Amino acid sequence: MRAVRIWYKKYGTAKFISHLDLYRCLCRAVRRAGIPLWYTEGFNPRPYLNILMALPLGQEADCEPVDIRIEGEMSDEEIAQRLNSVLPSGIEIVRAGTAECMANEIAYALYDISLAFESVNKAMDFAAEVSKLIESGELLAEKASKKGGKRVIKQINLCESIAKFNTTADNSIVSIKAVLSAGNTANLNPDLLTSAMEQALDIHSEYTNIVRRGLLKQDFSEFR
Amino acid sequence: MLPANVEKILPLVQKPGRYTGGELNSVIKDKNSVDIRFAFCFPDTYEIGMSHLGMKILYSLANARDDTWCERVFAPWKDMEEQMRRKGIPLYGLESGDGIRDFDIIGFTLQYEMCYTNVLNMLDLSGLPVRSENRKSLTPLVIAGGPCVCNAEPLAPFIDIFLPGEGEEVINELIDLLKEYKKKGSSKEEFLIAAAQVKGIYVPSLYDVSYNEDFTIKKITPLKGAPERVEKRIISDLDKCFYPEKFVVPFLEVVHDRVTAEIFRGCIRGCRFCQAGFIYRPIREKNAQTINKQCKALCDSTGYDEISLCSLSTSDYTELTPLLSDMIKWTDSEKINIALPSLRVDNFPQELMKKLTGVRRSGLTFAPEAGTQRLRDAINKNITEDEVLSTARKAFSGGWTSVKLYFMQGLPTETLEDIEGIAVLAQKVVDEFYRNPDKPKGKSVSVSVSVSSFVPKPFTPFQWEPQDSAELLLKKQNHLRNCISTRKINLSFHKIPTISLEAVLARGDRRLADVIESAWRKGCSFDGWDDEFRFDLWKQAFEEAGISPEFYANRRREYDEILPWDHMDYGISKSFLINESKKANMSATSPHCREKCHACGASRLNGGVCHARGKNMV
Repeated sequence: MRAVRIWYKKYGTAKFISHLDLYRCLCRAVRRAGIPLWYTEGFNPRPYLNILMALPLGQEADCEPVDIRIEGEMSDEEIAQRLNSVLPSGIEIVRAGTAECMANEIAYALYDISLAFESVNKAMDFAAEVSKLIESGELLAEKASKKGGKRVIKQINLCESIAKFNTTADNSIVSIKAVLSAGNTANLNPDLLTSAMEQALDIHSEYTNIVRRGLLKQDFSEFR
Repeated sequence: MLPANVEKILPLVQKPGRYTGGELNSVIKDKNSVDIRFAFCFPDTYEIGMSHLGMKILYSLANARDDTWCERVFAPWKDMEEQMRRKGIPLYGLESGDGIRDFDIIGFTLQYEMCYTNVLNMLDLSGLPVRSENRKSLTPLVIAGGPCVCNAEPLAPFIDIFLPGEGEEVINELIDLLKEYKKKGSSKEEFLIAAAQVKGIYVPSLYDVSYNEDFTIKKITPLKGAPERVEKRIISDLDKCFYPEKFVVPFLEVVHDRVTAEIFRGCIRGCRFCQAGFIYRPIREKNAQTINKQCKALCDSTGYDEISLCSLSTSDYTELTPLLSDMIKWTDSEKINIALPSLRVDNFPQELMKKLTGVRRSGLTFAPEAGTQRLRDAINKNITEDEVLSTARKAFSGGWTSVKLYFMQGLPTETLEDIEGIAVLAQKVVDEFYRNPDKPKGKSVSVSVSVSSFVPKPFTPFQWEPQDSAELLLKKQNHLRNCISTRKINLSFHKIPTISLEAVLARGDRRLADVIESAWRKGCSFDGWDDEFRFDLWKQAFEEAGISPEFYANRRREYDEILPWDHMDYGISKSFLINESKKANMSATSPHCREKCHACGASRLNGGVCHARGKNMV
């Protein structure tokens, strides 16, 4: 048995594939590709395939890690190449290799967020206001969570989960580069951030596109 | 290729994966290099439509032609419909993203009556008039197939062509003919008159229906050379028949998310309530080797890890044991499950069960259908209480702790005693669990009893029977509820108003078209979904049209009454059905077709061949 970390890219309409659907899609792709996946030894054997970070529905990604375990011999290059020959369009294996970091080392994620506004003025206003808003250090949002099995609405300050934030405006499009907390302990979904910003400023975009560029460790070095 | 405006609304709807296309094995062609563009429409959600085997077969079959591009279309859920209407986005094919109003063929599959308003809604969403007479040009031609076509009269004014029976051959003939007439620049009428001459094509506008004063049918008259009776099409040799090597693999989890292999068509059992048991006759089996080969190819092309053997009664397949032995040789090592739905309790060999030990244990379901032996005899469900109990015993000793029992209420000749019998039988199954000496410690048994209501259907021996009134069905439900005193039995029922409407539409005539259209205009769609079903709107629609639903649902018809589907020929003879109906009233059973041929007449459609009488016998 050998552990392999594969990295996938998801773009175009494939961004509408949910986390669980992606899991099933990858399991089937591995089968079609004839990759000798290792099965768990429980009562219901399952292929070992672990998507480290769920990607929210509707977001694209450049390079997301998936851990698999294989039995028998197959090179990393062959695994990547075989998978790419059977994957549906919009999902692509970027590379395969040995895992260097532990899953719990994921601390941040880098996002490109673009917001399309109906007018240039709105975009300019938004870009100007939003930087001030983030610098103020307080952007409250409500987040549904569970406490003792009960659903509760928590008020959280999103700024605590924002490590880096940079805005530029070009015509009616505002582009944001942001490094946000990610992983099991604190995770900020950029969808929540954009809707909180729009609500706080009362300037609403027409269309949002979010791309996760990569995952980072606590010291902002690349998660590999 | 989704249009940009569609991509913008997708973040606003539930399950956007329903509307994106781009799944593995979906077929993309160059639209400029094909002659015929075909929209295969399933009038329900993506998850249901993508589970349907018929669509997979016909999609691959049409796309196997170089001159045709077939795309899939499903009914958008209400949130998506709202967005589409708001943004002026017409209903589009999932493969190209192009609006289907510009296609050549728009084909619906009619699997159940409750989808009729969805058919109208989908036509409207694509920007087409719902009535056939208002669609003047030759294309798009609106066609429909599926089991409901055996009496699709309520939809007659909306559909240009119905295809009764099996579609694999006739769809190719239809495409060829349309291609020819399109090239000639013919009118829609010229084409329809010519198409009516093809066996298995029913052009409803070429039949005139006149009524008596009591609204029963006086006469059905074919016009312009259309045949007196339209014979359904069947495939004679399933081994030579087209079967896809690839299924489109959905991203979303759909209802039946696996490889499906059809093992035979028709059913030998002749349960008198079951329409499928009659309209798919005669029996035709596929060879075990063919099935094995097709399963392997499909698993390789899809990556699925489950195969379901599909038929009306799996354990009646004569080559089941050799087939499973062959399949297990490769499925075991590839960790593929084999699912066997529709097994009968009376003839499933135990050694087969052992062979399938690798299979994941799912729930166990029996369908005794009726509570007493007398009523089971009347409906010709030839299983005995002993058989149910002994199977339950084996299941419990094998470690199962929950079983599901399916029953029907409102069956012809049913009395309150038969209803009580449901509770008695369920209790006996519970008792069987506690009688088991090595029952698992600390575990309780759960027996789920699901009771649906009987809907009389065309081409069954019960086609003349009244359905119980809604009040009586409710009374029977309450009675059954009072008969059950233990929490180990979970009782569930189907919603009654839905069942009543289904009974109206199933045996309806053309007068109902106005009611369907008006119910749809009032906002009815997805009627098969309990939460979406608007009985109040349907009631209004009936009242406004001055049509009494009871006339269709709750009236006993005489054997000599002209039925709305009398011009459809499904092979089964009326005299056979009358004979079965009379036997039902005497609670007399008919042995299954392998034991004794009852000369139902269906083999006439297949040159006299019916595999129930042996594969080589005529």
